[in-house]
Amino acid sequence: MRNVKTIETDVLVIGGGGAGFRAAIEAREKECNVLMISKGPLARCGATPMAGADYTLDGKSMSKIEGLTGDPNDSAEKVFNDIVTQGCYLNNQKLVEQYIKRAPQCLKELMDWGLKVKLSDERMIFTTGTGMMNVLLRKAKSVGVDLLEDVAVLELLTHENSVVGALGLNVLTGEFIHFRCKAIVMATGGWHKAFWPNTGMRDLSGEGIAMAHRAGADIGNMEFITFCCNTFYAPPMWRGSIAPYIISLICGGRLTNNRGEDVLKGYDSFLVEKGTLTEWNKSFLSFVTAKQARDGKVFANGGLHYTRGDASWEMMELVASMVFPNWKYKALDLTEWGRMLQENEPVEVGHAVEFFEGGIVINDQFETAVAGLYAAGECALGTFGANRVFAAITEIFTQGADAGNNAGEYAHNRQSADLDLSALKELKEKALQPLTVSKGERPAELRKRVQRKSQRYLGPIRNRDELETFLDYLEDIKVSVLPKLSTTNDSRTYNKEWMDALELPNMIQLLESSVRSALMRTESRGVHYREDFPDTDNDNWLQEIIVKHDTATFQLNQRPLTITSMSPPTGVTPYLDFMKQMMEAHSDTGGKH
Amino acid sequence: MTDEKIKVNVFRYDPAVDQEPYYQTYNVPWEPGMSAMTALDYIYNHLDGTLAYYDHAGCDLGICSQCTGKINGKSGLFCQTAVKEEITLEPRKKERVLKDLITQRAESSK
Ligand SMILES: Cc1cc2nc3c(=O)[nH]c(=O)nc-3n(C[C@H](O)[C@H](O)[C@H](O)COP(=O)(O)OP(=O)(O)OC[C@H]3O[C@@H](n4cnc5c(N)ncnc54)[C@H](O)[C@@H]3O)c2cc1C
Repeated sequence: MRNVKTIETDVLVIGGGGAGFRAAIEAREKECNVLMISKGPLARCGATPMAGADYTLDGKSMSKIEGLTGDPNDSAEKVFNDIVTQGCYLNNQKLVEQYIKRAPQCLKELMDWGLKVKLSDERMIFTTGTGMMNVLLRKAKSVGVDLLEDVAVLELLTHENSVVGALGLNVLTGEFIHFRCKAIVMATGGWHKAFWPNTGMRDLSGEGIAMAHRAGADIGNMEFITFCCNTFYAPPMWRGSIAPYIISLICGGRLTNNRGEDVLKGYDSFLVEKGTLTEWNKSFLSFVTAKQARDGKVFANGGLHYTRGDASWEMMELVASMVFPNWKYKALDLTEWGRMLQENEPVEVGHAVEFFEGGIVINDQFETAVAGLYAAGECALGTFGANRVFAAITEIFTQGADAGNNAGEYAHNRQSADLDLSALKELKEKALQPLTVSKGERPAELRKRVQRKSQRYLGPIRNRDELETFLDYLEDIKVSVLPKLSTTNDSRTYNKEWMDALELPNMIQLLESSVRSALMRTESRGVHYREDFPDTDNDNWLQEIIVKHDTATFQLNQRPLTITSMSPPTGVTPYLDFMKQMMEAHSDTGGKH
Repeated sequence: MTDEKIKVNVFRYDPAVDQEPYYQTYNVPWEPGMSAMTALDYIYNHLDGTLAYYDHAGCDLGICSQCTGKINGKSGLFCQTAVKEEITLEPRKKERVLKDLITQRAESSK
């Protein structure tokens, strides 16, 4: 095997989205050497640059920051009430408290570092994902964080249940890299790539959660997956863009099915109002769209028609001029859509995977079950429970900062351990396997098939038969297809098939965890709806589902909730009625959250 | 999708095995509103798994700008350039090709 470069550092941060950058910057404060690895290009990968982006905090603290709106009558208690009811009580309340407490400070820092705020409301500021990434990149460079791009970490190395390093792959050159470190912060975001269509970058295939799981960390609440509503399904050039979601959230509009019916007719009017004009729209409208699809009432690409409806054109034009100046959303040219909206012509929209509530189990210090392994941001489980309405963007900063701090402290006075070279050799041989298998299965084909099945069976609406069918499929793939994945040639230089083959087992692992959890959760709550168990069951299911990784299979256990101050309700309530109750439980603070 | 197909000519070069660059032509089904990236994805998924283009972390929505290249000789984003007829796709800098449409990064990233 070729000579492999070894890089030593104190704290290794895996993932270059907002959480990774923020953790790296903070760990550096502890006088540690910090290396942050990003699978894609620096500051232009992961979900963070794709975000709108809103940053939420309590309006009272916000009103004290110069230049921002903020509702002075808002409070930490009100925000707490709102996040926990939106999460249908499955939230880790300690993490919710941490979010609320740290949010104002983390926003001020960002503004000090140069973040521009576009607009603000009662408890949210609106900026851009790319703007945030630019600020973070500048700051990380200025404090001396070492940065590496286009490198995918494949596996963690542990010794006696402590992290000692990792194995990475330079995606461009195909060279392996050994990393030796004292602490690791996992910040690899979600696993959008397991679904199609999706709204995420193509780098989000879940290796971080999956490798932490293999290394001995638990993962949990994997059945809760948020689908963004009203994303473009056509034309291909716009597919997955959330532009119609943004416009419809602010201005409304109309959704019709292939029979010309208004799909919201018949639903409770309060539910419709809150479920379209607040950020509850992701859960409510995606549920409605999925139902239409299951009833065969959708158009060619599986979506519904979105038109301006009764919303005023002047209002839409005004909003568009702020969020997509000149109908440009970055390089996306939406001029034609502007014309269509004005003339009330339809575009096809539908739900697409956007956010993962579940992930790596952490405590309130962001520690996992593996010593020295921390997790932050979307790859971690906890803040949002069964349904996210408040900003995920806030969480990546509040968690990133504290996880980075704790990892830095942990690494500070510790010696690094030697890497087990024979274990590394084995891992590399395994990784190289797809390059040597001949006449096997094509990775791209398998990925396509899996993505379509995930969309169908693990969407907003599920049932036992479908989940079991999908599970059988995944189990079969694991045994009969994954070992046979093979690339057309054995070139290691930017070999897309090889990347697909390396990513796929991770996606299958997370899908299996998710499907098993969705099967186990015999109730409906938040973004998980079971046709065969259509009630929210607060007598039996105020529990998290934790998945332990055993070499052979997964072990699923229930875990009691982490509650600090808000006791959950009891009783069994039909899904949409409970959703309505949670909307009604909202505090008197206005805005979209 | 329509039955119509278009020709997509792609710059190919793997310095490790090719003496010099060449162009390979693929027939790709055309659909309204497709981009050069839609065509590349089709080729990779259905016709030729060896084709290299920046995709392991692309956004496909005109935000990350990693898929910059030449489309019929003009610089642009593959993901936001509409394709309506025969088209030629090349890397942004032919002198710096790592493989096919992928170019080396300007400086090491540290
Ligand atoms: C289109 C879209 C719009 C959104 N808009 C909003 C919004 O307006 N407001 C809001 O609050 N939330 C929004 N969200 C959600 C929010 O953006 C994300 O939850 C958040 O940005 C996640 O940040 P993160 O740092 O945890 O992960 P990410 O930003 O996803 O970053 C993950 C990083 O890990 C890297 N990585 C992955 N695997 C590996 C590996 N094996 N080795 C090395 N690196 C790896 C990736 O390359 C990337 O750098 C949106 C999400 C999407 C998809």
